[in-house]
Amino acid sequence: MKIIMSGIIGYGVYTPIYRIKISEIASVWKKEPAEIIAGLQVTEKAVPGFDEDAITMGIEAGKTALSMAGVSEKEIGAVYVGSESHPYAVNPTSTSVAEYLGIGNDYFSADLEFACKAATAGLQITLGLLDSNKIHYGLVIGSDTAQGKPHDVLEYTASSSACAYILGNKKNEIIVEVLDTSSFSSDTPDFWRRDGERYPSHFGRFTGEPAYFNHVLSEGKKLLEKSGLLPTDFAYCVFHMPNGKFPRIAAKKLGFTSGQLAPSLIVNTIGNPYSASSLLGLSAVLDIAKPEEKIFFVSYGSGAGSDGFIFKTTNRLKEKQKLSASLKGQTKKKIYLSYPEYLKHMHII
Amino acid sequence: MKISVLGASTTKFGELWSVSPRELARTVFSQALTASNLKPQEIDALFVGNMLSGILGNQANLGSLFAEELGVYVPAFRLEGACASGGLALHSGINSIRAGQYKVVMVLGIEKMTDHTQDEITHALMAAGSDEERASGVTFPGLYALIARAYMQEYKVGEEDIASVSVKNHYHGSLNPKAQFQAPITVEEVLKSGKIADPLRLLDCSPISDGASAIIITGDEKVKKRHSKPIQVIASEVATDSLSLCDRKSFTSLLSVVKAGDAAYKKTGLKAKDIDVAEIHDCFSIAEVIATEDLGFSRRGEGASDIAEGKHTLNTGKIITNSSGGLKACGHPVGATGVKQIVEIVEQLRHEAGIRQVPKAKIGLCHNVGGSGTIAVIHILKA
Amino acid sequence: MNMMTPVKIHRHQKETTSLIGKKGKIVVWTIIRIATKLFSSQAPYPVVIVKLENSEQIIGQLVDWQEEDLKAGRLVIAVLRRSHTEDKESVITYTIKFKPL
Repeated sequence: MKIIMSGIIGYGVYTPIYRIKISEIASVWKKEPAEIIAGLQVTEKAVPGFDEDAITMGIEAGKTALSMAGVSEKEIGAVYVGSESHPYAVNPTSTSVAEYLGIGNDYFSADLEFACKAATAGLQITLGLLDSNKIHYGLVIGSDTAQGKPHDVLEYTASSSACAYILGNKKNEIIVEVLDTSSFSSDTPDFWRRDGERYPSHFGRFTGEPAYFNHVLSEGKKLLEKSGLLPTDFAYCVFHMPNGKFPRIAAKKLGFTSGQLAPSLIVNTIGNPYSASSLLGLSAVLDIAKPEEKIFFVSYGSGAGSDGFIFKTTNRLKEKQKLSASLKGQTKKKIYLSYPEYLKHMHII
Repeated sequence: MKISVLGASTTKFGELWSVSPRELARTVFSQALTASNLKPQEIDALFVGNMLSGILGNQANLGSLFAEELGVYVPAFRLEGACASGGLALHSGINSIRAGQYKVVMVLGIEKMTDHTQDEITHALMAAGSDEERASGVTFPGLYALIARAYMQEYKVGEEDIASVSVKNHYHGSLNPKAQFQAPITVEEVLKSGKIADPLRLLDCSPISDGASAIIITGDEKVKKRHSKPIQVIASEVATDSLSLCDRKSFTSLLSVVKAGDAAYKKTGLKAKDIDVAEIHDCFSIAEVIATEDLGFSRRGEGASDIAEGKHTLNTGKIITNSSGGLKACGHPVGATGVKQIVEIVEQLRHEAGIRQVPKAKIGLCHNVGGSGTIAVIHILKA
Repeated sequence: MNMMTPVKIHRHQKETTSLIGKKGKIVVWTIIRIATKLFSSQAPYPVVIVKLENSEQIIGQLVDWQEEDLKAGRLVIAVLRRSHTEDKESVITYTIKFKPL
């Protein structure tokens, strides 16, 4: 097993206040709400404010991550924002977020795109910079205001949120160690969006077995093999959640129990916030994890690839948990939208 | 030197689709000159008050433009202070005469708004505010709505009393053939009209209008004899306050008005109770309520109830405000208003106001404000 | 005509950055129902004047709001949000708005 020096020293999440119920969307298209809900295992999804985007949400998540980490903004040496909804096609989200967070000018930066795994790729890049001592701290954010075409199945799940991680290489600051990371990548056209198009396209059932499952399971098996660990060695597992069904199947196929998976399933009430999905799932687990617990993590990005991580919590996590702007806390107050209001928020009307 | 107003003329205010700004100017120039028994060649300088010409129609350089309409290329100037542009034009014209530079001056207030959409106008009017205000998405009615909210919170006054401003002004407007709106309205109708910016409703807000007003002023005693009833300007004061509403000390009083008003009273030795008739800048109903208090006509917190009780209405009141119908009913072509107010007071002091005549009017006051109270111009005139 | 050019936005950025996360109380509020062209797609929206903890007063939109939040004294926090709908070619403007706490 490779030894990685660096790890997580803080995290922050942000979810918009607005929600729309799956049943509300279903009723517009005269579908049976119960059927859709059972099929996707999602009951409602997060909807951005009319004036929110990947930058504004990234700033919110970044701010709470910085405050949990207790690190000065000026010490951040790398900023990577992964998204499928960068506000510009050309003009970096990462530097806007960095500027508004007060990070100064001395940092590596680029915007990342790899469908829903852009940000986890950012984690790997930052770990590399940290382990080679090029930087001391790095900020990685997954942030999306995902668009779903009206009447398409993705409309029920495409949602919005942001999740930020501060990584560092000082052992006494690390709250979650990274024991290993690897990736499984290929050229698989399951889901894509052409330049200038508002909505992504996908190839239906092809997004399942040959895409999501092929990559998640291949990476998952690789990670287990290399580490020599068994599913039972882990307290929790986290997978990318395009809906509520896929991660449950992936977990089972790799030998994990529903109990190990359950705390990460933010998809039920948030939907799929694309680049923030797996990271949000991880944050939900970190909010409740105890010290010295191992967490199995595999993300997925269409096109396609999976980033796998084996995390282990340290006893420094406990005091940081108190500083978490947890998803649970943020979702105490919700404002439900009607379908026309949802369309307004998504700039569709 | 005593400065007096000779000819004073105003066009009808309203949606004057077929009348161009040049035609508006020609009309009032001609009427003011005729009434003064003066020829265009006897005018030494032209002062123009206008706010939106450059922003809406991309036409600046108004001094030269309107000198052309006067028919003689005299020294010409444009003054801008948002909705106080007209008052500022008069103030500057007066100063130029006092300085001995010019003898006989034409002051023109003019605005053509209806060539543009409601959207464009709402956007353009926010040129009177600050960057922060524009970035917040607040509109001009919005700024006065915030003022109204502050006033209602502080003095526990309801919408009904504030609505009485519009009712009074529509009543006065119904007596003024030049007014944009000549139909009386009721408090119920005001309270039923659609909300523009809570708590301000459509009938709390002055309209979008076209119009022009012009007056001829001079300090020369010989020239004054050309007009049968010159009316003296005994005070002309200007004061400013912060550009942003946020930076004011109070939201329930316009300090710029208090400062200019106090200076005008001091200069003339007059008090509020000496004023017989006043033109008040009621861009929004709450503006008149607060002005009534800022000018000393009412005690703090009692402006609305005083107006509701008829204390400033023709036939029932003592200090009659907005006999022209005010901005609400007479109309508010922004740059013209400050000069129109002078025309109205001059007519009142000449006892030529017909059915809206304030009996025995001897002293009149004009209150002209720019933006949310960023600048105020106060004139006092005497028969 | 958009008054916020890229140069102006860049110049204002430090000030905007320093306001993010500041807390304050609503002093006065209104709901804009007839908006200017740039903001018309967002109408109706509330605009508030907030007194920050350092006594500075700031004007801005209130976001993520419900009826009961529109009152003097309501505690709010400054957040960064998109300012208005630009055309497809312009630089995106971000501005300080307020969110009920």
